[in-house]
Amino acid sequence: MRNKITLLLSMIAMLQFMDVEAQERVITGTVTQAQDGMPLPGVNVILEGTSTGTVTDFDGNYSISAETGEVLTFSSIGFQRVRRTVGAEDVINVAMEADLQSLDEVVVTALGISRDKKSLGYSTQEVDGEDLTIAKDQNVIGALGGRIAGVQVTGSSGASMGGTQKIKIRGVNSIGGGDQPLIVVDGTPISNANFAGSAGADYGNLGQDINPADIESVNVLKGPAASALYGIRGQYGVIMITTKKGAAEKFTVQVNSTYSVETTYDFMPLQNMYGGGSSLSFRTLPNGDPYVDLSVDESWGPRMDGTPVRQVFSFYPQDPTYGQLTPFVPHPDNIKDYYETGSTFNNTVSVAGGGEKTNFRISLNDTRIEGVEPNTHLDRNNLTVHADADVVDRVNVSTNFTYARNDAQRPGQGSEYGANYLVQWFQRNVDMNRLKDYRYDDGTFLHWNLRRPSSETGEVTNFNPLYWNNPYFNAYENLSQDNRDRFFGDIGITFDILDNLTLSGHIRADLFTQNIQERTAFGGTSLPSFSIGKYQNKEYNYEFLAQFDEEWGDFSLNANLGGNIWNRNYTYLYMATVGGLSAPGFYNIDASIDRPATSNYLLRKQVRSLFGLISLGYADTFFLDASLRNDNSSALPEDNNSYWYPSISGSVIFSEFLEWDPMSFGKLRASYAQAGSDLGPYETTMGFGVGTVYGGTNTLFVPNNLNNPNIEPSFAHSYELGMDLRFFEGRLGLDLTYYQQKNKNQIINLDVSGTSGYSSTTINAGLIENEGFEVAITARPVQFGEFHWDTNLNFAKNESMVVELAPGIDVYTYSSTTYSSVTSYLNSYEGMPFGSLVGTAYQRDEATGQILLGEDNKPLYTDQTHNFGSVLPDFTGGFSNTFVYKNWRLSGMIEFQGGGQFFSRSKMLAVRTGQDPVTVVTNDRGANVRDPLDEGGGVKVEGISAATGEPVTAYVDARSYYRNVVGRRIYEEWLFDASYVKMKELRLGYSINKYILGNIPVENIQLALIAQNPFMIWQEAPEGIDPSAISTGAQSISWYESGQLPSVRSIGLDLNITF
Amino acid sequence: MKKYYIILLLCSLSMVGCSEFDEDINVNPNIPSEASGTQLIANAQLYLPSLSSSPQGEFLAQYLAETQYVGVSLYPEGSTSFYWFYEGPLMNLQTVLNSEENLSGAEGPVANQIAVAKILKAYFYWNLTDRWGDVPYLEALQGADNFTPAYDTQQSIYLNLFELLKEANDQIVAGSIENDLVYGGDMEKWKKLGNTIRLLMALRLSEVDEQLAREEFNAALSDGIMESNADNLVFRHLADANNQNYWYEQVIDRNREWWALTENLVEDMKPVNDPRLEVYGDPARESGEFVGMPFGETEALGTEEYSLLGSDIIAQDAAVHLVTYAQALFAIAEAAEREWISEDAETYYNMAVENSILQWTGSTEGVDELLNQPGVAFDPDNAIEIIAEQRWIHLFMHGYEAWSEWRRTGFPDDFVQPDGRPVPTRLAYPDNESFNNSDNYEAAVDRQFGGDDSIYGTVWWDK
Repeated sequence: MRNKITLLLSMIAMLQFMDVEAQERVITGTVTQAQDGMPLPGVNVILEGTSTGTVTDFDGNYSISAETGEVLTFSSIGFQRVRRTVGAEDVINVAMEADLQSLDEVVVTALGISRDKKSLGYSTQEVDGEDLTIAKDQNVIGALGGRIAGVQVTGSSGASMGGTQKIKIRGVNSIGGGDQPLIVVDGTPISNANFAGSAGADYGNLGQDINPADIESVNVLKGPAASALYGIRGQYGVIMITTKKGAAEKFTVQVNSTYSVETTYDFMPLQNMYGGGSSLSFRTLPNGDPYVDLSVDESWGPRMDGTPVRQVFSFYPQDPTYGQLTPFVPHPDNIKDYYETGSTFNNTVSVAGGGEKTNFRISLNDTRIEGVEPNTHLDRNNLTVHADADVVDRVNVSTNFTYARNDAQRPGQGSEYGANYLVQWFQRNVDMNRLKDYRYDDGTFLHWNLRRPSSETGEVTNFNPLYWNNPYFNAYENLSQDNRDRFFGDIGITFDILDNLTLSGHIRADLFTQNIQERTAFGGTSLPSFSIGKYQNKEYNYEFLAQFDEEWGDFSLNANLGGNIWNRNYTYLYMATVGGLSAPGFYNIDASIDRPATSNYLLRKQVRSLFGLISLGYADTFFLDASLRNDNSSALPEDNNSYWYPSISGSVIFSEFLEWDPMSFGKLRASYAQAGSDLGPYETTMGFGVGTVYGGTNTLFVPNNLNNPNIEPSFAHSYELGMDLRFFEGRLGLDLTYYQQKNKNQIINLDVSGTSGYSSTTINAGLIENEGFEVAITARPVQFGEFHWDTNLNFAKNESMVVELAPGIDVYTYSSTTYSSVTSYLNSYEGMPFGSLVGTAYQRDEATGQILLGEDNKPLYTDQTHNFGSVLPDFTGGFSNTFVYKNWRLSGMIEFQGGGQFFSRSKMLAVRTGQDPVTVVTNDRGANVRDPLDEGGGVKVEGISAATGEPVTAYVDARSYYRNVVGRRIYEEWLFDASYVKMKELRLGYSINKYILGNIPVENIQLALIAQNPFMIWQEAPEGIDPSAISTGAQSISWYESGQLPSVRSIGLDLNITF
Repeated sequence: MKKYYIILLLCSLSMVGCSEFDEDINVNPNIPSEASGTQLIANAQLYLPSLSSSPQGEFLAQYLAETQYVGVSLYPEGSTSFYWFYEGPLMNLQTVLNSEENLSGAEGPVANQIAVAKILKAYFYWNLTDRWGDVPYLEALQGADNFTPAYDTQQSIYLNLFELLKEANDQIVAGSIENDLVYGGDMEKWKKLGNTIRLLMALRLSEVDEQLAREEFNAALSDGIMESNADNLVFRHLADANNQNYWYEQVIDRNREWWALTENLVEDMKPVNDPRLEVYGDPARESGEFVGMPFGETEALGTEEYSLLGSDIIAQDAAVHLVTYAQALFAIAEAAEREWISEDAETYYNMAVENSILQWTGSTEGVDELLNQPGVAFDPDNAIEIIAEQRWIHLFMHGYEAWSEWRRTGFPDDFVQPDGRPVPTRLAYPDNESFNNSDNYEAAVDRQFGGDDSIYGTVWWDK
């Protein structure tokens, strides 16, 4: 037998040899990845029509014998097949494009189990690390925006300084809005906590401690079907992040440097005709000199016509203009002038390699960001290590860990901080450049709003700021500083006990210490103070997993059984001074004038889980998955703390039996699952609050939230139906998903009538139904020679309906905000879509819909309970395009949102304080609206008199109309549609491959021009308000804007070198 | 760590032990699980100054005018929340009353702890119903047992509170209680306070049910009311930012010179050399004279030209006077004038003015001179008005109380109508009641105000 084979092989060899002798020669070349120029090992190189072939080596090199006119095909999983006809050349280099829609794509699913994508019965969408970082977003959550259908990312523009990015998967799934998905890095769940409030410094979401440059891929498990295996932590989806690993028997060094500059843009247009004050004429000093009313923080003053006047600076005896009259002129850019050019310098070095039995990758990152606000910065370092080794036969030991360090001095956000209040309250005549030197030599601080000068002496005697600090005082004296040390990762052991049975155990940890310090200095509007907090989190997961794989003929079976213990221990220590500081510049709790406020806190929680998953396949065509998880949470009532979470999903690859040429692949999938969510510890028993200590007496009080000993975990039931189609050999792909998610028994702190003695109670309440569909289209519309265009469109429409609240309760107040005694709410009403904006509206005539006017001809308004409808968008999506020509690559990413609305307090106040251009328009009588009524001025008001029912057309005083009524009380006027289309990222790259570089010991160089947030293509809301960046800090639903940071555009150079 | 693997293993093999955690893992170590009755009462007492320290009250009684940001003094329609009454002091007090069985006698006789809780409960509810009208009472403060309490009529609340105060009076025994921030545990003073509150509440019904008013008034009087300023219900702030005066925080800490004495107040006091004026306010910085600011001007007038709040009023450790001997004396004078009691109105009026001056200035200097001034001297022909005028001056900075007395008596009768808007006659219910307790809220608004929850509705006793 053996002889026969030998003979046969010799004959084949002979035949080949003879062929060579005839016309053949040896063709050699290098196969690289088109995207990054990295050599591609393991590519099959086959002579078309024959069984002759070879495989590229670890440097992507190959050699094969072929004759002119023959065709070489290059193929590799995940890449598009390339055909090259052999011509006169001896060297054929090939750059392979990643396959648009690889049919054999392997994705990492729950618990890190790798699966063939085609076998999954639920929707999953993966993003490559490369695509994620085209414009070098520092925050992995932010980078996901627009890239995945049904995934919406929100954040403020302060995010450019490491601020918060929030993610919502398939709409709002929690009445309380806190529906953040679980983040899992290489199997380790990590905290995405946030220490920011809705105003003040935004310390950012902790998920950003992962360096985007280390990410191989991100897979978003959108519905419970995908995340059911995470049980009690999986209700709001899971973001699975897989980091890069080393390649076997290959050593690479990669250096990546990015430098970008950040500039502000999109300021709200403001008027430049009238300056500070409250009447058209100047006040005068005893000597008759006119002066600008420095006690007014509004711009309803005299016309800025250059009249010489005493301005605020002239009242400071230390000022060079002391006592002088200076021209009263506008400073059109006085807000813009405050902002600086920021910069980001990001450097990563990674070393990866491996031997036959070992594999490692180490990467080190250094990022330095200087903010656009003066005196702000963020420094960050990341060290990420992966290593594994086969210590003995069948036993592999591995570790992944990341150490991250953040150190920042951040700007405050919201109207009370930095310069954000200026569009709301300011004088158009104040020169920002004069405010910059905010301290005189003698230590006196310069502010722009003070008490009026004495009408006896003409001098200002009190130089404490009246309402607002000089923004530079805020920036340089009232500092917010924070730093964080973070360590997360795992060690694991995997034992291939049999060929088809693997056991593994992992210990996973996520440890961080967050420090936050805040200072309020002497000499501003607030009492000097200092606070310091130290927050420490320790989370451990102890994990065991058995995996069994077997195939019997057409049948395949994959079974997993595992257990997990999750243990969390969180403590903090917070102290703040009370009653002021004992000495300027001494920022310490010891400086507290009165008994400082202190608190120490300990949280402990444990969840114990068991789970199993079975996947069955038949003929690579029919697949069925079923999973079951049991969770036991220490935070739930003792006798009722064990819950089960099942899921089932199935798919049919109908293209296997339905032959239709243009369709290369077709799959139908369906799933049902339950996942859950529990609550924090200590929420099922009552205690007492510790009140103020009065002269040595400790007081105690009944807390305002009533805890509930009967609480149950909440359940999400999800149903999903979908179809994945590929046409024309993958050049067109279409993924469609319809889903319905019923979130039941939500654990919420429901606001109740305070007359019950409590302001809220923890209950299981309600049913939120989300229904929607997602479409992902991928296509290569054009491919012509060395040019091609890839396009990718994600579109998602979701409706969040509050079907049920609690018995007897038909409104849930998510949040409210009060300004000048006027309150607006974000409420959810039973039977209506989630998140109605509620506030004051115009009173309208029922018959005509016209505005009702009072006796003074000013509009009448309703009480604060008018429902303006949901704030949530109708649809969201992203549109990305890549154009490749030879070594050039142009990528762009557009994000869009249709519908949704918000209330803009900045716009309202800009009008109220006479800064908005609408307050200086010319009316139809040809006079400025600010001119006196008897000189033809005034705002034209049309409506119906509430008293007589007769139509009225009248002119009313502009200041009292805008300042006291419309700009103060009528929120309807300040509601804006949140639709937008935004260019989120742009990248123009050029790569230089090894074979161009020749003898230089460099594999590949890529240079790219990148831009983040370069411009808004279209928005419905007025200029100067960015509807894509409304929510601040930890606010999880965007519904009102106040003191928004200006938009920040980042443009830079990205250099990538691989050795 | 080894422990967890043992648990994991046991759990996996047998499912045993999965749901059994360390006993204390879900016990909150960060807050106390028990509170003593007197600590809860002490916390309720911390809310006492909130009953008076509020610009809104001062505007309703027209004691203060706004120097900047003129708005609230123009009486805009808008709701005012009463939730803090219930969630704060009342819930603490109710918890004490509900746990009578478990209270510890180590901090003073349980009966006395209960009595103090009842007196304070009555006092907070009295303030509450006088401002808003009908409010939840019987069904309130029941937590999960009733998240939507019905509104009780003001009439029934008054009757219940009278009863509560009688119970308190009757159950007080010898022995002081601990942690009492107001009277240092002196039960005699609590007893007098309870009866004084009852007396003042009774007077409030003079226009709506004179017979009941008279009966309760006399009953309270015979149970024993305050006998000197030492019996006053005063909350003494401390020179400590944790326990500081509201007005200090506003004017000094936050640099808000937003309030000046009103023209009416200064014009009532300055011509008669009222010694209290120097306590109430400072002379205007510009002129050195006492100058009142016209109330209800729609434009800001400034801070230099007018008398701002006096340094005692804005002191960090200022005393907030709530129920006072002088007010009780004014009440007796009025009752005498109404012939509810057989006393001499003038005697009590003069005592009232004297004790008011003593309370505010610490001495009786200038009392006799003041009592001889026309417009201040007792006038039997105009007794109700003159009593009311002086009571208004006495109740300075306790605006809500003065406003209630204005609503009852109509005096002072020279209150300004800013921009033509009359002085409100109640506070509107909190907006959130229309979300959280809608049926009961609507029923109460319909019953009392024909469906319009306006600040111009009138409460039961306001006839």
